[in-house]
Amino acid sequence: MSNNTVIAQVGLAERPRKSRLPARLDLLQSLSGLFLALFMWGHMFFVATILVSEDLMWTVTKFFEGYYFFGQSYPWLVSVIVGIVALVFIIHAALAVRKFPINFRQLQVMRAHAKEMRHHDTSLWLVQVYTGFAMFFLASAHLYQMFVWPELIGPGFSGDRMWGAYLGFWFYPVLLLCVELHGSIGLYRLAVKWCIPNMSREFLSKLEKALLVFFLLLGAVTLIAYMKIGIHVKAGDFQKDYTPSSVMMEHSKAAPTSMDGMLVKGE
Amino acid sequence: MSEAQKTVQSGGAQQTRNRTLTFHILRYNPQVPGDKPRLQQYQIEEAEGMTLFLALTEIREHQDPTLQFDFVCRAGICGSCSMLINGRPGLACRSLTKNMGTDITVAPLPVFELIGDLSVNTGKWMRGMSERLETWVHTQEKEINLSKKEEVMDPDLAEKIYELDRCVECGSCVAACGTAQMRRDFVGAVGLNKIARLKLDPRDNRTDADFYELIGDDNGVFGCMSLLGCHDVCPKELPLQTQIAFLRRKLATIECTECNK
Amino acid sequence: MNVIYSDVLVIGGGLAGLRMAIGAQRRGHKTIILSLVPPKRSHSAAAQGGMQASLANVIKGQGDTEDVHFEDTVRGSDWGCDQVVARMFVNTSPKAARELAAWGLPWSRVRKGDRQVIINSQKVTITERDEAHGLIAQRDFGGTKKWRTCYVSDGTGHAMLYTASDRAIAEGITVHERCEAIALIHDGKRCYGAVVRDLITGEIRAYLAKATAIATGGAGKLYKVTTNAIICEGIGHALALETGVASLGNMEAVQFHPTGIFPVGILVTEGCRGDGGLLRDCDGYRFMPDYEPEKKELASRDVVSRRMEEHIAKGKGHKSRFGEHLWLDITLLGRHHIEHNLREVKEICESFLGIDPAEKWIPVRPAQHYTMGGVRTKPTGESQTLRGLFAAGEAACWDMHGFNRLGGNSVAETVVAGMIVGEFIADFCDDKNNGIDVSMKLVEEFVSREKGKIQSLVNSSGKENAFKLNLEMQDVMTKSVGIFRNAEALEAGVKQLQQLIERSRNIGLSSKSTASNPELVAAYRTKMMLKLAQTVAYGALVRTESRGAHFRIDYPQRNDKDWLKRTLAFWKDENGTLPHLEYEPLDVMKMELPPGWRGYGAKNYIDHPDTPKRQEEVDAIKKQMEGSDRFAVQEKLMPFKDQLPAALRGKNERIDEPLKD
Repeated sequence: MSNNTVIAQVGLAERPRKSRLPARLDLLQSLSGLFLALFMWGHMFFVATILVSEDLMWTVTKFFEGYYFFGQSYPWLVSVIVGIVALVFIIHAALAVRKFPINFRQLQVMRAHAKEMRHHDTSLWLVQVYTGFAMFFLASAHLYQMFVWPELIGPGFSGDRMWGAYLGFWFYPVLLLCVELHGSIGLYRLAVKWCIPNMSREFLSKLEKALLVFFLLLGAVTLIAYMKIGIHVKAGDFQKDYTPSSVMMEHSKAAPTSMDGMLVKGE
Repeated sequence: MSEAQKTVQSGGAQQTRNRTLTFHILRYNPQVPGDKPRLQQYQIEEAEGMTLFLALTEIREHQDPTLQFDFVCRAGICGSCSMLINGRPGLACRSLTKNMGTDITVAPLPVFELIGDLSVNTGKWMRGMSERLETWVHTQEKEINLSKKEEVMDPDLAEKIYELDRCVECGSCVAACGTAQMRRDFVGAVGLNKIARLKLDPRDNRTDADFYELIGDDNGVFGCMSLLGCHDVCPKELPLQTQIAFLRRKLATIECTECNK
Repeated sequence: MNVIYSDVLVIGGGLAGLRMAIGAQRRGHKTIILSLVPPKRSHSAAAQGGMQASLANVIKGQGDTEDVHFEDTVRGSDWGCDQVVARMFVNTSPKAARELAAWGLPWSRVRKGDRQVIINSQKVTITERDEAHGLIAQRDFGGTKKWRTCYVSDGTGHAMLYTASDRAIAEGITVHERCEAIALIHDGKRCYGAVVRDLITGEIRAYLAKATAIATGGAGKLYKVTTNAIICEGIGHALALETGVASLGNMEAVQFHPTGIFPVGILVTEGCRGDGGLLRDCDGYRFMPDYEPEKKELASRDVVSRRMEEHIAKGKGHKSRFGEHLWLDITLLGRHHIEHNLREVKEICESFLGIDPAEKWIPVRPAQHYTMGGVRTKPTGESQTLRGLFAAGEAACWDMHGFNRLGGNSVAETVVAGMIVGEFIADFCDDKNNGIDVSMKLVEEFVSREKGKIQSLVNSSGKENAFKLNLEMQDVMTKSVGIFRNAEALEAGVKQLQQLIERSRNIGLSSKSTASNPELVAAYRTKMMLKLAQTVAYGALVRTESRGAHFRIDYPQRNDKDWLKRTLAFWKDENGTLPHLEYEPLDVMKMELPPGWRGYGAKNYIDHPDTPKRQEEVDAIKKQMEGSDRFAVQEKLMPFKDQLPAALRGKNERIDEPLKD
C-alpha cells in the first residue's frame, strides 16, 4: 500500500491526475442555483409591483422591453432574458439531477431513511427533490411560454394567464409554491454546504423560514391581485393589453402594438 | 444528612415502580439459510441507570442467548455499539432507557455489512476507507532519529488536530447519511473528517492536489449533499459540517497544473 | 483444513499487538494480526490519563531522567519487577513517545509562559520555559516524583491506538478481524501458531507462523466489576496456560481502583476525592474517618479500596438490583467546581447514570483495573519455556510492573514492549533455524481436537448454563480473590472454582449453531476463564505475604525473605482443577535498587538476607564513582543495554541534556 502512496513532492506524482471536472461542476451547480434563487427574488419583486398599481407593473414591463431606452417596445428583449435564465435553469437541473435518486429503489431507501431519522435537513432535501422534479415540467412550460410569447406580460395579459387562460388555474399557485420552497431551501443549503456565510445552522434555518414565509405571502397576494384582474379581463371589463391612461393620452397615435389591438377600458 | 435521606429513599422508592420495557429488535442471521428479517419482542423490567448495554446483555443472558450485538468498552469510547435506536444511529452503551418510552426499537446500522441481528461489520468498512484515503501521516523521511528531541508543534494546532482525531469510527455518520444510503462508494463524513485532520497536520507532507486525488470526485467531497445527518448524530460532536465545507472550498477551485489533459 | 501461513502471527490488535506487528513487518516478515474486534476498538483506547516518558519538557518535569522513572517504577512494583526490564523500559519510553509524535500523534504541547495549576488543592502559578514551547507536554500522576505523563488531552489511549492502527494499515499489515485464537499449536517445545475460529462463520482454521505473539490485554472480566472492556477476558493468558508448557507469572497480582461507577465499572477519576469528595454508605454515613482517621478518603488507592470492601462486607452497602455499592458524594464541591474541574466526571454521570453529580451521589464500588500478571517472558518477550511464543503488553509478565503498576506505565508498556519485542521477533524470524518445520499431522491433530471440542459443546446434553457459570465465577473472584484476601476465603474460593471447573465440563447450549453464536462463545471462553481464575486464586492462596496489590489480611507484611520471587503457573493436567505452581527467585545481588521502603504506605516488611549486603555494594559504587556521569554509574550497578535491540540503545535528548554528537 505504501508503494502507491501519493506524495506529489516525493517523486510519486507520476500517475495521471484526477480530473478537476467534478470540482467545477459542484461549484457550477451551487452558482447556478444561487443565480436562479436571486433571479426569482428579483422576479417576485417585479411582478409584485402590481400590488402598488397596474401602471407601475406596466412600467416595469415596458422597461424590460426597452421602451424607455429606445422609445419603442421590443418584447424579444424579454425573450433574451428568458433564454438566459432558461439556459441556467437547464444547466442547474442537469447538474442537480446527478444527485437525485436514480431509480425507484433509491428513492424508497431515501424516503425510509428520512422517515426513520426524523432529521430536518434530510427531509428538506427530499422537498428539494420533489419540488425540483415538479419544476422540470412547470418551470419549463412557463419559460417556454415566456420565451416564445414575451409580449404576454403586462397587467392584463398576466392577469389573464393567471386566471387560467392557457395553463389552468392550478398552474401558477403550484409553481409559486415549488419555486419558493426550492429557492429558500436551496439558499439555506448553499450556506450550510459552503459555510458561507459562516453562521449557525439554527440561525440560517430561521432565516430560511422567514424568507420562505415572506415570499410565499408576497407571492400569494400578488397572485390574487393578478387573478382578480384576470376575472375582469375574462368578463371584458379590463383591457387585456392594458396601457396607463396617461400614456394613452400622450401617445394616442403611436401606442405600443399588440396582438389583440386596443380596447379602451370600460368600453 | 438530609441529602443522604433523599438519595437513599429515592433509590428505594424507584424499585417498587419500575417500568416494563418492550424491546422490538430486528432479528436476522444471514448465516442461517432461509432466515428472514423480523422484529422480535422482549420484555424486561427497567432498572435504575439502565443503558441499552445492560438491557441487551440481560436479554441475551436470561431470555435469548442467540441475540447478537457488539459491545466492547461499554463506556462510549470504542465506537463498537452504534445501532439504530428508535430509528436514529447512536451509541447503545450511552443510551439510557429512562430517556425513552416503554417501547424501544433497535435495529442494526444500515449501509454496513450485516453480521447478524444488531451486529454489523463496521471494521471492514473502516479499514477499506482507511486504505482508500490513506489515512495516515505521509512523511518524507523514512528514518526517524528516536534519540533526538521531537519536532515542535504549536500547542493550539495540536489541540485542533486532536479535536478532529476524536472520531471513534462508530459508523453513525455513515448510517445517518442520505448520500451513503444511495451511493455505496461514498467515503462518508468519517473519511472526509480524516482528510481534514491530515490536511491540518504539518507532519503530513501531502499537498491539496494529493488530497484531491483521494476525495476529489462524487464519491468524495463533491458527492456530499450537505444533509448533515452526520453532523447531528456524531456521538463525539465533531464539527463535521465545517470540516466538509472547508475541504469543499479548498478543493472546488483547486488548480490543475499537473493534469495530463 | 484451511491453513494460513505467515512469518508472524500476532494475537490481539491493541497497542502492543499493533506495535509488535509494525516492527516485524518493517523488518520484512509478513505479519497477520488476529483481533476479536476491529483493532481501533481495542481496550487500549480507554487509557485516558497518559503515557510515562521522561522527556522532562515541562518545568515540573525538569530534572526527570530514566533514573527517576526507573526508581518510581521499581518502588511502585513493590520490588516485584525485573529491574533489567524496567531499565529497558524507561530507556525506550521517550523513544516510543517521539516515534508516535513522528507518526502523527497529536500530543498536547507545552505553551511557554505562566499558567495556573492546582497542586495539593492550592492554586499555583508555574512558568514554562521558552525553549520548551511546542514540545510534548507532561502532566502530574500518582506515584511519580516528576511530571512525566505525556498526554493527548483526555484521550491519550484513543489517539495512540488510532495512530498505531493507521500506521499498521500504512505498512500493509493484514488484520483478520473477528477471529479468535482458541488454542496454540505446539509440540511441547516450540509454538507454531494457533487454531483460530472465525466468529462470523464459525470456521476453524489453522494459522501457522514462525513466531506467535500474544497481546490480548488484561483479564478484568474474571471479576464482576471491572474498568476493563468486556472483551478483556484473559483468553490470551488462557491460551498460553492451556499449552501446559508456557507459564503465567504473578497472576495473583491484580490492581483495583476505588471508584468505579456501579454497576458498570466505568472509572471515575481520583480527582473527585482529591478535591474533597466523600464516600458514604447505605445510611448516608461517611465511614472512611472511622477506618483511616488521618488520611480518610485520601488514603492510598489500595487502602481505600480495601476499606470500602470491608464496609460492604459489614452489610453497609446500598443494595440495588445489580448488587451492593457505596456512594461517592461530590455535591459539596459545588456546581461551579464540578462543571469546570471535573467535566469528564459530569459527562460520565450524565451519559451512564442519568444523574447530575452536583445534586446526586454517584454509586461506586472498587473495580478490578489491571492485570499485572501474564505470560511469563524473557526480556526479549519470548516465553521462558515455549520457544517461538512471544507476549507483550498487559497479557505479558515481562515483568516491569511486579505487584503493582504505576499509573501511566501501562499504555507506555504497550508501545515500548511492542517496539522491543517486535525487534526480537524479527530477529527470531531472521534465524534460519526457526522455519515453520511443523508436521502437518500435528496441525491436523490440533485442529480436529478443537473442532471436536466445539462439536461436543454443541451436542452436549449438559445442563449447565455458560452465562451463569461465568457470573458465578465472577462472584467467587470478587468475594474471595478481591482486594482483601485471607486463607479462609481463598481456600473456599479455590474449592468453589474447582467445582465450577468440573461443572463447566457439563455445559449445554440452547442454540446449536456452530456459526456466529454468542452462547457457544461464552461456553468455550468460560471454560478457559475458569482455569485462569483458578490460577489467580490459587496463586493468591499460596503467596503468604502482602506485596503491592496482593494484600493478605492474615499476612500483612511484605516478606522479602521468603517471597521475593515470581509465581509461575502451569496448567499441566487438562482434566485437573488446579494449576501447578513454581517460583522464580529474584536476585537481590543483581538489583540496581535493593528492596526497601516504597516511600509511601506501611513501612512493614521483612528484609531479604542479601538486601543489606547489596545495599552496601550499591552505596560503595555510588560513592566511588561520585562525579562520573550517571550513565557510567548505572552501567556499573546493573548493565542492561546489551539486552536492548541495537537500534534502541541510544541516549535520550532533553532540553537539559543535549546530545553531544
